[in-house]
Order: sequence, then structure tokens, then C-alpha cells
Amino acid sequence: MLDNDPALSLKGLTVAYDTEPVLWNVDLEVPAGVLMGVVGPNGAGKSTLLKAVLGILPSLAGAIRVFGQPYSAQRTLIGYVPQRSSVDWDFPTTVLDLVLMGTYGRLGWFRRPGNAERKAARQALERVQMAEFANRQIGELSGGQQQRVFLARAFVQDAPLLLMDEPFAGVDATTEQTLVDLMRELRQKGKTLVIVHHDLTTVCEYFDQVALLNRKVIGAGHVSNVFTTELLEKTYGGSLNQCKVACRQFSTLTSESISRNQDGHADD
Amino acid sequence: MLMIELLTDYTFRTVLLGTAMIGAVSGALGCFAYLRRQSLIGDVVSHSSLFGVMLFFLASYWLTGQGSKSLVVLIPGAICAGTAALLLTRTVVQRTRLKQDSSLGVMLAIFFGAGIVLLRWVQRVDPPIPGRRGLEDYLFGMAAAMTQDDLWMIGILGFLAILVMLLLWKELKVYTFDPLFSHSLGYRTAKLDTLLVMILVVGIVIGIQSVGVVLMIALLITPASAARQWTRRLGTMVILASLTGAVCGLVGSVISATYSHVPTGPVIVLASTLIFVVSLMLAPGRGIVSRMLHRSKLMSTIRQPNAGGDLP
Repeated sequence: MLDNDPALSLKGLTVAYDTEPVLWNVDLEVPAGVLMGVVGPNGAGKSTLLKAVLGILPSLAGAIRVFGQPYSAQRTLIGYVPQRSSVDWDFPTTVLDLVLMGTYGRLGWFRRPGNAERKAARQALERVQMAEFANRQIGELSGGQQQRVFLARAFVQDAPLLLMDEPFAGVDATTEQTLVDLMRELRQKGKTLVIVHHDLTTVCEYFDQVALLNRKVIGAGHVSNVFTTELLEKTYGGSLNQCKVACRQFSTLTSESISRNQDGHADD
Repeated sequence: MLMIELLTDYTFRTVLLGTAMIGAVSGALGCFAYLRRQSLIGDVVSHSSLFGVMLFFLASYWLTGQGSKSLVVLIPGAICAGTAALLLTRTVVQRTRLKQDSSLGVMLAIFFGAGIVLLRWVQRVDPPIPGRRGLEDYLFGMAAAMTQDDLWMIGILGFLAILVMLLLWKELKVYTFDPLFSHSLGYRTAKLDTLLVMILVVGIVIGIQSVGVVLMIALLITPASAARQWTRRLGTMVILASLTGAVCGLVGSVISATYSHVPTGPVIVLASTLIFVVSLMLAPGRGIVSRMLHRSKLMSTIRQPNAGGDLP
């Protein structure tokens, strides 16, 4: 693995469900060691992009390279956090057991997890403030707790490239903060993270780089260069206009109320 | 026959051992079908296997002049027909806009229908095919028909299926819970899926003679559903379901042998249903009674005069 190679490089990637192309001629380069957000409207192919990189969905055309090598040789270098809703949380297993699944890849066939793996799993649970839940049934967790356990599993999996599918969907503020802290810690350790994200207001705060996706890549690179009104409009089309109107109204309202408050203070 | 006579009878001990093994194997494997919501797949394999049973029976007649009812001949037929039904379902789902459940329903109807047509024809054709008597027992099962050879066939296949399950325990577990994540661990998920379906097919076809093709699905799913109520761990669930299946198999064969002309399948189904209902009612935590108690306790806390303070 050369340091110069991008963590992930896609060239001309085209993916279709049945006869409908979802991703069309996608070119994307994710440099090693960055925190990249993937944003775009519903149906833009964000989750599809992650699944195509993992080889869960077959691509019709294009090349996927992971740290400079074809994907098939690098499968174990990619970690994955699926959408929380993609699994049955009534499955009979405990929180610790679920996190231990992250160690299965390096254990290889036939071997069972031992004390070293258990210790790593417990540490990961501590890291996401879920240590006291280790022996709970996974069905007893709240949405935010489920997401933290998923993250602990990815932490244990310890892959240099981590793909996360909407980890912030439907979680509370505490969990969101824990997730952000952990993502930053992982990046400091030299990991690369590609995260599908929905909330445009937090993109600048959370990510170094952003990819705007709507069937194709509209723009990708540093947040300051790419997260512009022009490119966002191109990505979201008409729907963003409404969003912008709402934002403008909101900002006038808040500035009005601020000035009113200041006026009030001045009167005092 | 009296119970004592039954237990000392050599033939009957074969039957007891056989049905207990069938129950234990299909109970254990059924947990995976239950957790993957694949009960319908199991039912398609079981019903479709009748077609394979009839084909292989006829083939043995054409080859030897005597139709064979040995499981050594008929189980391979059942495996072929069950697998063919599943492969056709997959092709239909991939090539057409039909959804999985409707394609499965269609395949079940086609294969089971063809099986019934062949069965009726074999029963009525003149001159009669030697060995045809008792073929109709494959519908609802007749454990007493089990021979020593059948027992060996059931034992070897069941042992192999359980061995695969134990060796690939953690792979099958993570694949069943989270197939997308197991893919990212580097597992060949398509192969794991095929393997899991294959051991499920084995877990079903070993029961076609004793339990019958119509009701075999009950011995696969009901013990798993009952076991799920009592535990929060997959390992415990598999052991409990396996024990439940074995007990149901034993009860079924004893009752069906004691009262002659009672088919084994329905008795086994009744026994497993009883255990299932008791589990639904009485299991701690998930059971209906336990949840009712919990709720009434909560209600009485709420009705106390100083309610509205801290969470109970």
C-alpha cells in the first residue's frame, strides 16, 4: 500500500438496478486520510455507490481501485457500517456479541473469538459509552444506541477505509457528538472515512471533503471549494431553491430578533 | 401394542432413533430458516420433494422392475426436486418482475401438483407397479415404515448438515444477522447462502418419510419459534429447538405406532404446536403471561397516590 495512492478511486463507474441506471459514469477520488461526506438528494445513488464499491452490487462498467489495487485483492481493507434499519434488531444476540462480529474477518474460517477479541470489543464499547450495555439483548437498544454499537463494531473491524451509510439518520444529539468525535479520532489514526450524509447544515463542520452526487458526481474535493451555492443548486435542482428560501427567511428572522434584542439592551 | 412391548421391539427402536434424529436436525437448522424469514422456502422444498420422490420411484421401477421405497433412493430424488424448485424460483425472480414470495408460491403449486398427479397415476395404473403400496404415506408421514437402511441415510445426512453448521457457526451467524456486513468481512456471501440453503434442504428431506411432505415445514419452524421465546442467544436457541424437535419426533412416532393408522406428521405437528403455545404464553420476558404481569405491575405503580414522580 503506497501512501501516494488514493484510498479509493472510481473511474467511469456505472451501476444499474434492473434496467434503470442509478450511477452514471462516476469518477471520484478519495485521498487517504480524509473525512469525506457524500451528499445528494434522495435516489441520487449514495447508498448504491457504497454498495458498488463493496461489490455487493455489480457494476456495469468502470474501475474501482482501493489503495491503488483492484477491489478484489483489497476486500478486507474496507470496513462497512450499513444502515441501521437494514438488520433485524430482534435477532437473538447480545451487544458484545454483535461488536465481536467485527473481529470475524481477521479470525479467518473456523476460528472462534477468544479473550483478545473480547477485550478489544469491550474497549470499543467503552469508546462509544456503551460499556454497561455489553450483556444486553440488542433488541433493547434505542436508535442512537444501535448506531453506537454499529460504530463500535466498525472500530473493532479496524479497516483503513471505512464506508458508512447514513450513520446520523435518526440519532439524538449525544450520539451525534459521539459519532463525530469517533470519526475524527479514526481520521487522526490515518483511516479514511466515506460517509453518506443528509444534513446539509453540518457538512462544513463535520467533513474535510465532500462529494456532491446526483446520478453522477457534480463536484468533489475540499468543502470550501465544492460546497458552493452554484454546485449545490446543480445537485439538488429545484428542491434546493425552496430550501434556500427557507434558509433566507430563517436568517432574516434570526438577525431581526438579534437586533431587536440588542435594541432592547440599548434601551436599558 | 403396549408401551413396554414397543420399547423392547427392535424395529420400533429404529423408528424412535430415526424420528428423534430428524427432529433434532431439523429443529436446529430451522433456527436459521426462522431468523432469515425463509419458512416459505422450506415449505417449497418440502412440497416439491414429492415430485422427486415419485420420479425416482418410477426410475427405480424401470431399472429394476420393482419400485424402491428406500430413502437411499428417494431422498436424492427429493433433494433434486427441491433444489430445482428453488433454482427455478431464482431464475424467475431475476428474469421477470415477479416477487420472491409469489414465484415461490407458483413453484410450490407446480412441483407439488406434478407430484400428486404422478402419485395418483402410479396408484391406479394397470398392471400395478410392484412396491407402490405405502407411497401415499409420503404425504402425511408414516414413521413405522422406517428401515435400518433409511436410518443410516437419515443419520449420515443429518450428521453432515449439523457438522457444516458447527464448523461455519460464526460465518452463518453473522451472515444471517447482517448479510451486508458479512460481505465487508471478506466472506463470499453467495457461497454462504448456497451452503445455508443446502443444509436446510437436507434438514427437510430427511423428514419426508416420517413426517410427510405436507407438514415437514412444521418440524422445521415450530421448534425454532418456541425456542426463540426462551432465550436471547443463538447458541441456546439452536440447542433448545433441537431438543424440542427431538421430543416432538419421539412423541409423534410413539403415538402413531400405538394407535395404528394414525399418520405421524399430524401428531408431530400437534406436539410441537403444544410446546409452541406454552412457550408463547409462559416464557419469561417475551411470554404473554409475563408481559401481562409486567403491565399490571406498571399500572398499579401509576395508580399510586404519589405517582408522577420518578420513573419506576
